[in-house]
Amino acid sequence: MGEGKSDVLQGTLDLMVLKTLEALGPLHGYGIARRIEQVSGDVLSMNQGTIYPALLRLEQRGWITSQWGTSESNRRAKFYSLSRVGRKKIAEETENWERVAATMARFLAPSN
Amino acid sequence: MDWIRSMLSRFLTLFGRSKRDTELEEEMRAHLELATEENLRDGMSQAEARTAALRSFGGLTQTREAYRVQRGLPWPEQMSRELRFAGRALRKAPGFSLTAILTLALGIGAVTSVFSVVEAVLLKPFPFPDQDRLVVLREAVEDTSGRTTIPNNYRHVMRLKSTSATLEDVAIFGQHGASVSPDGSHPQVLGTLIASPNIFSVLGVQPILGRSFVDADARPGASPVVVLSYAGWQALFGGERGAIGSSLHIDGEAVTVVGILPAAMRFPQIRMAPSAKFQENARDTLLFEPLTPSDRDLHRDMGNFNYEAIARLKPRVTVSQASSELEALQNAYTLSAHLPLHFGIALAPLQKDVASGISGALWMLFAAVGTVLLIACVNLANLQLARAVNAQRETAVLAALGASRTQLVRSRLAESLLLALTGGAAGAALSIAGVRLLLALVPSGVPRLDEVHVSAPALVFAASVSMFAAIAFGILPGLRSLRVQPQTALYGHPARTANSREGNRARRIMVAGQVACTVVLLILTSLALRSFARLMNQNLGFDASQVTVAEADLFTPPYDQAGAKGNAVRLALADRIIGALRQLPGVQSVAITSVAPLTGETWVDNLQRPDHPVPEGQQPAINVRWIDPEYIPTMHTPVVAGRNFTSADRANPYVALISERTARDSFSGEDPLGHKILNLVPDDKHPITIVGVVADARINGLKDNAAMVYLPYWAFTPFTLSFLVRSPQPGDTLIPEIRHAIWTSDPRVAIPTIKSMDAQVSDSAATERFQAIVLTCFGMAALLLALLGVYGVLSYSVTLRRREFGIRIALGSGKRELIELVLRQAASPVLLGAGVGLGLAALLLRWTRSVFYDSPGLDPIAIGGSLLLLLAAASAAALIPARRAAAVDPMRALRIE
Repeated sequence: MGEGKSDVLQGTLDLMVLKTLEALGPLHGYGIARRIEQVSGDVLSMNQGTIYPALLRLEQRGWITSQWGTSESNRRAKFYSLSRVGRKKIAEETENWERVAATMARFLAPSN
Repeated sequence: MDWIRSMLSRFLTLFGRSKRDTELEEEMRAHLELATEENLRDGMSQAEARTAALRSFGGLTQTREAYRVQRGLPWPEQMSRELRFAGRALRKAPGFSLTAILTLALGIGAVTSVFSVVEAVLLKPFPFPDQDRLVVLREAVEDTSGRTTIPNNYRHVMRLKSTSATLEDVAIFGQHGASVSPDGSHPQVLGTLIASPNIFSVLGVQPILGRSFVDADARPGASPVVVLSYAGWQALFGGERGAIGSSLHIDGEAVTVVGILPAAMRFPQIRMAPSAKFQENARDTLLFEPLTPSDRDLHRDMGNFNYEAIARLKPRVTVSQASSELEALQNAYTLSAHLPLHFGIALAPLQKDVASGISGALWMLFAAVGTVLLIACVNLANLQLARAVNAQRETAVLAALGASRTQLVRSRLAESLLLALTGGAAGAALSIAGVRLLLALVPSGVPRLDEVHVSAPALVFAASVSMFAAIAFGILPGLRSLRVQPQTALYGHPARTANSREGNRARRIMVAGQVACTVVLLILTSLALRSFARLMNQNLGFDASQVTVAEADLFTPPYDQAGAKGNAVRLALADRIIGALRQLPGVQSVAITSVAPLTGETWVDNLQRPDHPVPEGQQPAINVRWIDPEYIPTMHTPVVAGRNFTSADRANPYVALISERTARDSFSGEDPLGHKILNLVPDDKHPITIVGVVADARINGLKDNAAMVYLPYWAFTPFTLSFLVRSPQPGDTLIPEIRHAIWTSDPRVAIPTIKSMDAQVSDSAATERFQAIVLTCFGMAALLLALLGVYGVLSYSVTLRRREFGIRIALGSGKRELIELVLRQAASPVLLGAGVGLGLAALLLRWTRSVFYDSPGLDPIAIGGSLLLLLAAASAAALIPARRAAAVDPMRALRIE
């Protein structure tokens, strides 16, 4: 783990994946991983490989679906896209996360 | 809902696994290629681009692993994978696996077999509703010599039943053998319960056919009825429904069958008194007849202690509450009725009482077999430990590659579990044969043997034992090996880490434990063997060889009449049978006695002397036997003083022989010859003159040297007669001839038993023989296992220390010194174990004194012999690896590395 980088919090990766798919539409695993790294400004320390169990988890819950397709460089790759349930869950999960973040912020604010 | 969907989808992926695996591989490959392309575009070289892609991806294997965990049902998936791995690992080490499985199978098989017997005989409740409320009730008499439990007086029990507040109901009964036949001739003798009509309601049993008893069945003059057990119905009527209403001849009387009991109802054998021993009487109860109390039963408070009783406690009453209430009632009645003896009550839970004769022996066997299993498990642990140490390098590599501690423990667990499952299954299969073997050995007098089989509780027991064995003796060594740091194991030579001080200590403690257990078992075994030998080799006071005993029951008319008339017909029959038996070819002598030898205490009376009156209750107890003049010579019992009976006594049969013990008890310091005794002949007040003293003979039981008074059968001919035939003819010719001779004299006579007296002697030592044989097996098994333990540990450590021995030899160490070195290493755990074993045995000895016949508190031969045997065997086991150590070739040993 490098200096100044944080681990990905349990549960946050799922939301990042969902938001990525919402923003960019169907995408393969590498694209999702890259997007997360770019958005986080390389602050998050994440092995790209960890994306795959997370994708599988989301697929098992029925929030995303997958399909084999062809990448921009003509390579066979598996593309993930949001399902209808997934779209609804984004709102729920976002609200959830904001509540947690707000609570954390209150704890971290200098006490007076 | 999400989780259901997740589980379903995970479950579905249990199938089509390989397709999902290739998909993931393809996906990862695409990922890496995409990343490499991007890196190339950023200006990296091909190799750099690929490396960078791999680096940012992280561990491929970890991803696969995490993906698979996410994909499948974690538990069964992992479990089956671990078990597959474990199976592969065990197949790779067939020597270890086979030894371990065999050890476990033998241990578990033996324990499960013994447990099956223990479960059926001691633990399984009787199939009576609320059977824990059933108690066996007996009376107790207190005198200067202590408290004796005796059978019940009818009147006392009826009084308790009507006054007690803790008893719901009491049934009173006697267990007998009755002469039963469909038409009255050639009867068989079947176990019969003559019981108060409430017996079935006390037990809570309903007939499956016909009716139960009603009170009217027990009134004097009621038409005689019988209820059959299910087995009796099958045996006598072949299970036909028409049995109800048909008649049977029981003791010569036509009796109507009114009811059939359910198959589950098996009436247990209940002993008259805890000290009484059943031999010939131990028959399954097939018939139930109502008990009509006699005048004597209803009116006499003293004597007539002839009945057994089962009571049902009121709900929520404990045995001790009932006990103290009944004791108080008895005590009060003793005082108010001015009874000459002090009476109390002894209650025992039915289940416990039925098993009381054998429970000590069975629990001891169970403990012994448990010890064998423990020793086997220790061996297993040793094997596992050695294996874990061998695998240390491999474990360290796995740990260095990132295997977590949980994973490592899990794989050890899987291996142990697989061993336990295989061993346990083999053990359960073995126990089926084991139970058969045990049943062949168990003395037939043990209650509820027909219920013994490998049952669900026994199998559950086997399963839990094997699981326990797996966890306790597989995981612990495994955990120990994990404590080794990867660095040490990787850099060091395996032998050096394996022989660490700590590993050595663990193994030596295990060996010491095995030796301790073995010493205890060996001492127990030798005590049992010596006690059995004492029992069989003691001076019996009679000579059983070449004597055949035939019992004849005269409970059928005209022989069942009381008084002089009945006596005359019985006497005539006895003489007729003796005459017929004397005609048989090869017969040397024929004698008669009222009770077959070795069938326990019977006809107990008190010896009363007119010249030396003693208050009632303090007269010495004696057993009366009715014999003829041939009895003493046929039994080869010596006459010590005076004379034997002669045919001249027939005219005036009021003469007696007494045994030496009777002479000591009743005539101490006097010459008994010529003294008179009173009141021994039924319905006759004629005084009897003592004409002779004969040597003591253990004719009641091998352990019992009872005081005897012998009277001639001319004075009274009892209802049971035993004919003793001394003849060199083999049993298979003699026995049918004897049966034929008796039935030619009268076919209405029942013959409960005909067998050689040698067999009788041998049968009466059945419990001791059983104990001795089984304990010997277990003791030898324990010794063998412990030796394997000693040998295994030593030879393993010798193998690991080859290099060291090589150096020692190179530096000039002699063979002798090396052997001594290894033996010294073996000596400390063996001696420590032997010491601990001796201590444990000392604790046990207090208890074994009561279990083993005539066992001295400290038997130096048994203890010393066991110790010597163990030490000799252990030295032999240690000498083999020691010699191997001395034979190490220094050049080769040093070159190995």
